[in-house]
Amino acid sequence: MSDSTIQHHEESRDVTFRVHRFNPQVDSKPYFDDYTIRLEKGITVLRAINYIKEHVDSSLTFRAFCQAGICGSCAMRINNMSKLACTTQVWDELDKAREPGVIKVEPLRNLPHIKDLVVEMDPLVGKMQKYSNWVDSKMPEEQWGKKEFLVSEEEFLAYDKATDCILCASCVSECTILRAHKEYVSPAVLLKSYRMNVDSRDAMHDQRLAGLVQDHGVWDCTHCYRCQETCVKNIPIMDAIHGIREDAYASRGSKDTSGARHAEAFMDDIEKKGKLVEATLPIRTNGVVWTLKNLLPMAVKMVIKRRTPPPPPLVKASKGIDALRKEFKEMTSHVGKDHEKKSGE
Amino acid sequence: MKPFDIVIVGGGGAGLYAAMEAMKTNPGLNIAVLSKIYPNRSHTSAAQGGANAALANKAKDDTVEMHIFDTIKGSDYLADQDAVEVLCSEAPKIIRELDNMGTPWSRMDDKTIAQRPFGGAGRPRCCYCADKTGHTILQTLYEQCLRKGVIFFNEYFALDLSVDGSRSRGLIAMNIKTGKIEAFPAKTVIFATGGYAKMYWNRSSNAAGNTGDGQAITYRAGIPLKDMEFVQFHPTGLRKSGLLVTEGARGEGGYLTNALGERFMSRYAPEKMELGPRDLVSRSLETEILEGRGFDSPAGKYLHLDLRHLGADIIKSRLPQIREMCMYFEGVDPIDDPVPVRPTAHYSMGGIDTDNLGRTVMQGVYAAGECGCVSVHGANRLGGNSLLDILVFGRIAGRAAAEECQKFNPTSIPEGELAEKEHELRSFMQPKGHYERYGALREELGHTLGMNVGIFREASKIKLGIKEIESLKERFEHVRVFDTGDIYNTNLLQVLELKNMLDLAETVAAGALVREESRGSHTRTDFPTRNDEKWHKHTIYTMEGGHPKIGYKPVTMGRYELQERTY
Repeated sequence: MSDSTIQHHEESRDVTFRVHRFNPQVDSKPYFDDYTIRLEKGITVLRAINYIKEHVDSSLTFRAFCQAGICGSCAMRINNMSKLACTTQVWDELDKAREPGVIKVEPLRNLPHIKDLVVEMDPLVGKMQKYSNWVDSKMPEEQWGKKEFLVSEEEFLAYDKATDCILCASCVSECTILRAHKEYVSPAVLLKSYRMNVDSRDAMHDQRLAGLVQDHGVWDCTHCYRCQETCVKNIPIMDAIHGIREDAYASRGSKDTSGARHAEAFMDDIEKKGKLVEATLPIRTNGVVWTLKNLLPMAVKMVIKRRTPPPPPLVKASKGIDALRKEFKEMTSHVGKDHEKKSGE
Repeated sequence: MKPFDIVIVGGGGAGLYAAMEAMKTNPGLNIAVLSKIYPNRSHTSAAQGGANAALANKAKDDTVEMHIFDTIKGSDYLADQDAVEVLCSEAPKIIRELDNMGTPWSRMDDKTIAQRPFGGAGRPRCCYCADKTGHTILQTLYEQCLRKGVIFFNEYFALDLSVDGSRSRGLIAMNIKTGKIEAFPAKTVIFATGGYAKMYWNRSSNAAGNTGDGQAITYRAGIPLKDMEFVQFHPTGLRKSGLLVTEGARGEGGYLTNALGERFMSRYAPEKMELGPRDLVSRSLETEILEGRGFDSPAGKYLHLDLRHLGADIIKSRLPQIREMCMYFEGVDPIDDPVPVRPTAHYSMGGIDTDNLGRTVMQGVYAAGECGCVSVHGANRLGGNSLLDILVFGRIAGRAAAEECQKFNPTSIPEGELAEKEHELRSFMQPKGHYERYGALREELGHTLGMNVGIFREASKIKLGIKEIESLKERFEHVRVFDTGDIYNTNLLQVLELKNMLDLAETVAAGALVREESRGSHTRTDFPTRNDEKWHKHTIYTMEGGHPKIGYKPVTMGRYELQERTY
């Protein structure tokens, strides 16, 4: 076989798209359709499923608009990961396929399903409204247009990266908290909230923050980092979430929710002992009454199985706790400083 | 449905600004924005470069007057000068207003809004946010509309105007999620559905949905269109996809080079070089290719946009999205390699004929943005003036509708019209002995337009194009929709969009044939010069018997006399 034929084989091949299908008007449950088409290297997943729609099955339904990675319409799960179909190369996905030559395509998760690859976006819009995802200008509306705000490089950089968000909802789809609680604020909305809260032109920081620390808010995040790994614009979403938390802790303390108290209990333990005092963690997070009511049966079972955590007096400080405390002090100091700086402005 | 005071069709920059301004003008009005996609997906988001305004932040001697002159000259003197005056004098105010409501404009060291040079502009007056300007403006407007509680009908596809003699009764639209045809009785309707350049299909940088829905609906309802033959080709589309590399890339100092390694713009615009106006730069690229100085590849002939000398820092900070796109769609990192580019259909100067308040000839019907034609861009739009256009005239149309709707009586739409529409749509789904696929027709339409009504035009080719469009229209009668369901039927939607493009393609080709001169984006090789005596006028299109009938309208002049246009 000559070099040119080898190359030819690499440049074009049969690819199977295993696509999630469901039309609530006729189907009782979802199923997969396999479409096998011959494709050339360099083609995107969106162009491939467009080809299927135009030439094989016109009823295949998905959203797509700009085809250039900026409108956010065509987010879907490709090989178990949410991403934009228009910026995803088929050949890259072939490398990741579990079954050789087969690319699995599914709708986004954590949003109500409409048909095939289309999900309902209204819940996300509703949350943007609930958490005031807009700049509430320091300038009264009658004054708008007369003069521009002066914004320093530093102030600009605080929100610049977050404004890359195209609301494609890939992070929403992969969020592990949303899997459990549909009411959870969601990573995209936290990112946008952060972007508004650090904007020097915005006037409703405190009010927005007060909403974010309620139940299903910023303290519910478990730091799994899925959102950040997923983000199609490579936005450090977790920095935004941490940013809101630090801001909330500094200006509101730990009284807001069990999430905040949980975080504080962690911090205390690490500072004092270098490890967790698990036995009292539920009490410090949720109080005695809640713990007795909800965890007593489990505690009894743990005693029977001899799996109880050591009682607090037996949790000794880790070796090298002094060095750890020093580092801890350094790590936490910037939170307070950031806050002082903000309120000093 | 409860009658509306204002129904806005389209949720891009023009539509959202209109909604905000209408609410501001009269908070008691019942206003709805209807969009076939979620508003934050609108094509405004794809505008990369920026919006022009003589803020004089960067060049202290910049003035509104200079902006006006650049725009008129750029339009090849076909723009209406009173409209251009409105556009440019409102510009600084609207840019500041966006800043006041949260648009993340890039800044200069003195903390003021940054400005960059752009094609055809005498001063650096293009305000930007890196290369995501349109995206951030759209987000800001959408956020503010949510703040104000604007009522959105997301994923509704506009079908028809309901017309009662010389006035509109409102809009008929399909709820995409349910397939139900619904009436939107309204005292006023503002069309802000964007451009029609997607009719060039694979030779277009536009989003799949830029199919001229608003223009087609109003055209069929008897409202005239204007200057449809003027379609702008952007010089730097990516070779394979036609997707756009912003003019900002040249604004930052990028070079255009040919296969001989020459910066060939020295032949065509020795002074402005790469920053000549778009029509001229596009023709220059096309000429280089036609004369054999392009590169060859299976995906077609192309030239180079070279950014390497700008360095990694500038590329990463000012053109991050562009870098990403080059890597995704061409496999090229502009830091290391030149980007393969060719001209691509990009912007429609023509549109629904309106006055300076966005009003059409039909009472209660308005248009704004790329959908309308005021006209501020004439025969060629300057880069950075389209975002400005949608903002300024979106706001004006919103205000005009809010003020005028009070004078109009409430309306209702007869039930029969809905049933008729329903029947019409269902007929696409009937099995046909011989059927056509819409995808093939769509591609052929783009191909014939690109070949025959593209950058360089001549009578014989345009005639061929017209014949092919007519034959495509006949074949369209046999198009079959295979998805017979009601819910989210994109098969049906794409067929309806194709119908809109076919109707409008006929006007583009007819206008291209009749205008026997070369002006702005319209270049006739058989009539290579501008002919002011005969053709210094707008073309006007009305539908008669399913085809365009062409009339004319004088250009509103002002301070600036006709001059030869050189750069």
